[in-house]
Amino acid sequence: MLRLAFKNLRANLSRLIAMVTAVVAGIAFLAAGLMLTDAVRVALLGGVADQYQSVDLAVVPADQILATFGGGDSTSALNDTTLAAVRSVSGVKAAAPERTVDVQLLTASDEAVSARTQGRAWISDDALNPLTLVAGRAPATANEVVIDRNLAEKAGLKVGSSARLATPIGPLKVQVAGLSAFGRNDAIDAGGTISFPESAAGEVLGGGATSWSRILVRTSGDTAAISAAISKQLGEQVGVIDGAALIESEQQSSAAFIGLLRPVLQAFALLSLLVCGFVIFNTFSVVVTQRFRELALIRAIGGTPAQVRRSLMLEGLGIGLLASALGIAVGALLSIGLQSLLSAIDIPLPGAGVKVTSGTVALCMIVGTLVTVASVAVPAFRAGRTKPVEAMRSAAVDRTGSSTVRLVVGGLLLATAIGLLIGAKVGAVPKVLLGAGTSLLFAGLVVGGPLLARVFSKALSVPMRVFGLTGRLAADNCARNPKRTATTANALVIGLFLVTLVTVSGTAVKKWSVEKLNTLSGSDYIVSSNAAVPDSVVKGIIATDGVAGAAAVRVAVVNDSTGIPQIISTTDFDQLATTSGIKLSSGSLDEVANGDGVAVVDLTTLLSDLVNSGSSSKSTDSSEPNPLDTSPPSNNPSSNNPSSNNPPNDETTALPPGTFGTSETEVGSTVEVPTINGGSETLTVAAVLNAKLDALTLGYLVGPATFERLVGEQPVRQVFIRVEPGQAEAVGLSLERLTRQFTTVDVQPGNFIGQAVGTIFDFLINAVNALLAMSLLIALIGIVNTMTLSIIERRQELGMVRALGMTRGQVGAMVGLEALMLGILGTLIGVGTGLFLGWILIGSLDSSISLGVDWGRVALIAAAGCAAGALASILPTRRATRVDVLAAMQAT
Amino acid sequence: MTDSRNESAAPTASQQSPVQWAAQVHDGVKRYGRGDNTVFALSGVTVGFQQGQFTAIMGPSGSGKSTLMQCAAGLDRLTSGRVFIGDTELGPLNEKQLTLLRRKKVGFVFQQFNLLPTLTAAENIAFPLTLAKRRPDAAWMDQVVSTVGLSDRLRHKPSELSGGQQQRVAVARALVERPDIIFADEPTGNLDSHSSGEILSFMRSAVDDLGQTVVMVTHDPVAATYAHRVLFLTDGKITDELMAPTRDSILDRMRQFDS
Repeated sequence: MLRLAFKNLRANLSRLIAMVTAVVAGIAFLAAGLMLTDAVRVALLGGVADQYQSVDLAVVPADQILATFGGGDSTSALNDTTLAAVRSVSGVKAAAPERTVDVQLLTASDEAVSARTQGRAWISDDALNPLTLVAGRAPATANEVVIDRNLAEKAGLKVGSSARLATPIGPLKVQVAGLSAFGRNDAIDAGGTISFPESAAGEVLGGGATSWSRILVRTSGDTAAISAAISKQLGEQVGVIDGAALIESEQQSSAAFIGLLRPVLQAFALLSLLVCGFVIFNTFSVVVTQRFRELALIRAIGGTPAQVRRSLMLEGLGIGLLASALGIAVGALLSIGLQSLLSAIDIPLPGAGVKVTSGTVALCMIVGTLVTVASVAVPAFRAGRTKPVEAMRSAAVDRTGSSTVRLVVGGLLLATAIGLLIGAKVGAVPKVLLGAGTSLLFAGLVVGGPLLARVFSKALSVPMRVFGLTGRLAADNCARNPKRTATTANALVIGLFLVTLVTVSGTAVKKWSVEKLNTLSGSDYIVSSNAAVPDSVVKGIIATDGVAGAAAVRVAVVNDSTGIPQIISTTDFDQLATTSGIKLSSGSLDEVANGDGVAVVDLTTLLSDLVNSGSSSKSTDSSEPNPLDTSPPSNNPSSNNPSSNNPPNDETTALPPGTFGTSETEVGSTVEVPTINGGSETLTVAAVLNAKLDALTLGYLVGPATFERLVGEQPVRQVFIRVEPGQAEAVGLSLERLTRQFTTVDVQPGNFIGQAVGTIFDFLINAVNALLAMSLLIALIGIVNTMTLSIIERRQELGMVRALGMTRGQVGAMVGLEALMLGILGTLIGVGTGLFLGWILIGSLDSSISLGVDWGRVALIAAAGCAAGALASILPTRRATRVDVLAAMQAT
Repeated sequence: MTDSRNESAAPTASQQSPVQWAAQVHDGVKRYGRGDNTVFALSGVTVGFQQGQFTAIMGPSGSGKSTLMQCAAGLDRLTSGRVFIGDTELGPLNEKQLTLLRRKKVGFVFQQFNLLPTLTAAENIAFPLTLAKRRPDAAWMDQVVSTVGLSDRLRHKPSELSGGQQQRVAVARALVERPDIIFADEPTGNLDSHSSGEILSFMRSAVDDLGQTVVMVTHDPVAATYAHRVLFLTDGKITDELMAPTRDSILDRMRQFDS
């Protein structure tokens, strides 16, 4: 049986190739996914271990938040004093400060040479320094830097060249003192590494005030004792962890990135395997049918059904093993290709080359073989049941239509499913049944596939007559074997259905969420910085053409008595009204501006706005002429507070109580506001603001005099900007140009959360479209297989019509149209079901969400499906036209 | 029964004005393979098929009878020699021209797989004309259909017809296009004796009453008695010719081959 299996495989090379290709495609994606994530993980984790291998201790701020937001004056950040203190502790052989910030190498026209370049402080201690010098020397003076060799090559720089950088403190002119590398890589950071001398790094990277994120320490002697000594020296504001703990925590954040990548790639792999399975099942079924004579012969001579089954399963096993091995090889190529593609579009993945682990190989071999053998099982089983007498009968076209039972059951399933789904949407049926309805729909598609195939083929046969006799015959041939037609088309259906569903419902959900989110912010643009927006930039903003108003907000973050950081802010109150979406709930901002009062934010209004702005009338938002009117507003807190009507959804009130604002929300009540020197002041609430995005960033809003008293001189951290009508794009460009040289100053459109969410949705939808491309490819292989095999089967028929006078062209057209019809069939079912299910799901979610189908996109998806059919027709058509006319004469 | 048939149909001297050849083969040679593996299916055959004649070609397997028919019908090309259908020489024609020629001028009846399973009997009959985007002449169609006795079966699909009926559809199709010549390859090979008799009678009436020309390859002596003339092929050559064949005369000739 083994020899027979082997000989069969060899004898029919084209069949073998067809099946192998399908499996290879699926496994290749699985393998590529695994290899890529492995490569990335090894690179990231290994990189971290390499980077910190000599670190014995690390001094970190006890409070990470203040380290990010606080200025250099705040005693809890690590600065030069801290550094000196650490160095003074006995046992400390070397201490190096660390801070990583966005820095950019600029071209002559102020464009960044590479995205996400990082600036670091050069570490002079050789052991602690992860970087090695490959040319030149370490940076010494303030205007010298060391650039990684890859970035230097990209920018055309050498040792001694001058360069312009964009930094947190603005544009810098520097000279390249040396080139660096990181182990075998070019740089620590995917976007490139620029190292500044320690003396200058503090100010440059800190945005004007030195603020390190950690200090790395190399010790000699009892590490634990030294660690204690450092803590004692520096007090409660810093923590000391050992090197291993540092590496571990850094690796965890890298792992988070991989955690995102892996599921995406695995989803690809899963879908491709699913489609694969279909294709193999279909192909093998046809192959078995075609070889029925051979099989009958074996049975007639004395082979048992079990032996026949085994022989076919062995064939499947052989194919599975061979194809899986090939798939791994192709997957390796694929992952290399993906890496180059990604770095070409400037989203480089860390790690180069391919990482093939024995785990990957084993998994791919097992999965590939299993899928193949499983797909082969049913046809093999059927083959075992071939009757020996078939050996005497003449070959016939596979007429296995479908049993009536199957048609009826399929029809029932589909009808029930559709009924349930529509019922759930209009509320006639409980929504829990949506899941049941969907499962029934799938079952109906699989079982009722032949029914659909028949119906559609008959329906399409009328328009097909446009193509004359060939069209009619093509439609007839599709309807002739509905089971095979259905199985082939289903390979297309899966991919098209998923993509349509995700695109349609994704677009609808995206529009809905973006609309809701857009109500949260009122500014047209917000220029912000975690460090400081320089005065020059603020002046520049106000002076920009098209800017109708700008409110600069000074912010300080101070710990209150319980150790929780609080935001205190002040701003230009005249401008605040017109530039931001701040809405007054009660009280008066005049009192805040001119007096001692404070404005606080009522967080409970956050949820009510989200819930109410969509379904109820929008008049509540837009009816107020001037939200900051000092006259008593028509809303009072109790009516805005929906807690009596709609209990807040626990998931969305994610802000921990008291983080940015207090729970007291009544005018006249008092709050304790911390001051910069560790004390606090009692202030009276003079105004309550609605919780909108703009308001949330203000925390305790006070007048300028009060602000100065509480926290002293603080930098501008935000600027709310409103633009004149029609000037949005122009102003956006001007703002970009203004801030380009300051890497820590960001320009964002006011609705940036909405935009960010929109971008995420867009990315998801595009990723799914990429999935479609891949599944279409595999389905294409399936169509080619089926068509080719069906041509071989109809050899005599084709020979006969050629003898009767059908030209090669006509035969080719007939076959081509058949393949096209398969494509159209799969497209109609796939896209149709996707649209239907999308409509149901969205409608059930929230009847207010309009489906707003992007018909253009759907048309594109449909076109892709049909194109797959058309493409798939090329090979079989060529084969059909080459059928020998004499084939009609052969009785066997 | 057989003898009377042949007496009336044999072309007499007075009917033989300029002989019209429905098809001719001159010095036909068909070689397969090369060098040591060369096989000559036809090694120099010259034969003419007169209009209005029913010719049967017989011979043992490997004699080349199928090859002769295939080459004469334009389904295959000779290695050397010339083939004519009517006045048209087939050699210089390309594949497409050959196909169109077959469509217009040649009718076929095969042993099996004659019909397209998805078309009705009527559509199958009209098939070659539909290929040419023409419609059959209604009166002629009716006559042909009634000749083969299928008037009440026109809307049936081949799966709903018996073997004999399917072959009748094939004959009707061959007739409807009014070809120069009809080639039949073992048309009764799959039929029982009753259906065989029917088909052969139809083909003979097509020749006698409708003026067609039929060339039939067969190994069945009884079938051959329906023909005006029987050609015997052995090893790629015509070795014998028998006019007005009877069962006995055919069996006699066949016995001679065995010895």
